[in-house]
Amino acid sequence: MSAPRERLPLPALVGIVIGAAIMVAPLLWTLLLSIKANDALMRDSAAAFSPPWTLANYAAILRGSSTFHWLLNSLIVSLGTTAGVLILCSLAGYGFARLDFPFKRPLFIFVLLGLAIPEQAVILPRHQLFAQLHLHNSYPGLILPGLCSSFGVFFMTQYFRAIPRDLDEAAMLDGASRFTLFWKVLLPLTIPAQATLGVFTFLGAWNDYWWPLISATRSERFTLTVGLASSQMNYAQTSGLGFLMAQAVFASIPIFIVYILFQKQIVRAMAGTAIR
Amino acid sequence: MKRSGAILVALVAFAALGSCHAGSHRTRISVQRFFGECDAAYGRNIDLSKAEGECGIMTTLLNRFQAENPDIDLDVNIVAWPGYPQLTAQIAAGDPPDLVTMHQSVISDYQGRGLLEPVDETLRQAGLAEDSFTAAGRRGVTKAGHFYAMPWDTIGGLFHVNTRLMAEAGLMKDGKPIFPHSPEELLAQARQFRARTGKPYFVQSEVNDPASDVRNLYTYLLAQNASIFPDARHVNLRTPEAKRVVELFRAIEVENLSTHHQDYPAALASFMNGEGGIFPVGTWDIGAFEAEANMPGRPLYHAYQVWPYPRLWGHDASFVDGHSWVMPKRRRTPGQRAAIARFLKFMADHNFDWARTGHIPAVQAVVDSARFQSLPHRKDIAPLARDGEQLPDYVRRQSAIQGLIGEELASAIAGTKSVDQALADAQRRVDELLGQVL
Repeated sequence: MSAPRERLPLPALVGIVIGAAIMVAPLLWTLLLSIKANDALMRDSAAAFSPPWTLANYAAILRGSSTFHWLLNSLIVSLGTTAGVLILCSLAGYGFARLDFPFKRPLFIFVLLGLAIPEQAVILPRHQLFAQLHLHNSYPGLILPGLCSSFGVFFMTQYFRAIPRDLDEAAMLDGASRFTLFWKVLLPLTIPAQATLGVFTFLGAWNDYWWPLISATRSERFTLTVGLASSQMNYAQTSGLGFLMAQAVFASIPIFIVYILFQKQIVRAMAGTAIR
Repeated sequence: MKRSGAILVALVAFAALGSCHAGSHRTRISVQRFFGECDAAYGRNIDLSKAEGECGIMTTLLNRFQAENPDIDLDVNIVAWPGYPQLTAQIAAGDPPDLVTMHQSVISDYQGRGLLEPVDETLRQAGLAEDSFTAAGRRGVTKAGHFYAMPWDTIGGLFHVNTRLMAEAGLMKDGKPIFPHSPEELLAQARQFRARTGKPYFVQSEVNDPASDVRNLYTYLLAQNASIFPDARHVNLRTPEAKRVVELFRAIEVENLSTHHQDYPAALASFMNGEGGIFPVGTWDIGAFEAEANMPGRPLYHAYQVWPYPRLWGHDASFVDGHSWVMPKRRRTPGQRAAIARFLKFMADHNFDWARTGHIPAVQAVVDSARFQSLPHRKDIAPLARDGEQLPDYVRRQSAIQGLIGEELASAIAGTKSVDQALADAQRRVDELLGQVL
């Protein structure tokens, strides 16, 4: 028998409803604008509240010759980055949490310093480096920068540290190698953390605009964010407001799906419970 | 095993041969442009009469060039507006495109650092004489005595007029708006307009649009022959000329002669809905307003005209910008240079088609042509091709400068700073910025 749910006090409920309304209003506004003809919005953006509505803006996106190519690029880059981050951060986290090696502590601090360095500070040397390696306009060029995740290493290290060492000793007594211990014993226990890190990495890679903008300068390598921006005409905020909003909705659909699928992990991560 | 190896070798050989199609003998040039992507509507269109809007006409022009020049492989790259971060990145990576659309006000940023090629020789090769372009176009692309781009159009501020409201205010004569000839007359007419229509004389975009006020300031400083940028490191705004202009802006605000607190989309909608008499904004909105003027029942129906800014001081002048085609520095074969020359010639020959966007053509013969002059309002705004002026060719970071001056002007207009203080602050901030330019 499950415990009866605690009822929220009325003021808290009212506060939550108001907060939710404030959060949802811009999204609904975006959605309404996206299903209204551009010329009607040019005259009055409040026209979004009244019919007729249309799907013409979405049709225009889907008719764009490159839209699905950009979508595929975004998927490749986001999934590639996510897979890479999970592999590297799990290995690094295990290493920092469980192994002893020279300069471990300074190295960990060095990794953590990455949290304090904004991307903008390294973008020029990174761009030069990638140019010399001929990595621009390529998938590796879009994926590799995302793999350096200081947060991911820290996150996984903390998670591995939280797993009792008794498990290691038991596995070792049973003759498990270091790799077997990592692969078959500890890694499965980190699935909640992997899911959380994976979701956030995917979202970050999907929404990234700045690096793809300057690295993928050829339209065949545009990600969805850059591609949709390139398809906007000048003064899109006036003469193409509906189209602009439809692009925003379209680009957020995969993110929405990810949220739906991984809602539990995201909420747990936000609540800071995934690490426990 | 041997047999499968032989089959594999044969397949590879076929694939290699297959890649040697006729296209590999074509001269490849890369063109990078903004103006959006509209392949869904114009992806295969080569009929210019069926193309509308910047994106449609540009896409069709490029399709048409490709269709008429099968020996050239035109590699088109569409970039997010305005495309300069990408171009800078491409240049840094050593792989810039052959031709790029660029605002004339931005050319100095790249030319000043030796990143662009002069196009004088390429234009000669294309048979395009420098004097075949308009005075405004020539001024816009001439840097250090050379053409650093082929001018493509002129864009600038205009007075878009609701003639019905102007008539109601008693400010129409012989079918044309009566414009002021001095700041005092402007205020008097604006007061009269407000008194008779109950609406503001001006519709203005005041929020999040610093360029709007700066365009107006530059225009009236140029009209007074003020030296705005005496050299590459300094701006000159603590002047009686600048003070006169900004005090006028402030008076318009104080006397409630303009709409308030509107951003650009709101101001646009406001003008379309007949909520004010004059909207000082660029050439790019002519098409939208003309469409409204032809739509029965709309406030602008048969009630729209557009004119250059009236002369309030000194002489006729308009601060303008323009689009152009630049050639970033890179290695090119003679064949590629010839292809680029053909491309520029094609674009110049089709300058009229581009002018249908509302922008003023950069080819003088097109401006003078009967077909251009017969387009709606074009005869009235054509003087911009002659009077349009830009900042001196050594002024870099013009977009950033507009942002700084615009912020200070907004403070002065809103009254949060005195005019003197705002101009002094603007001058200091711009000087600091220019002092840091490499």
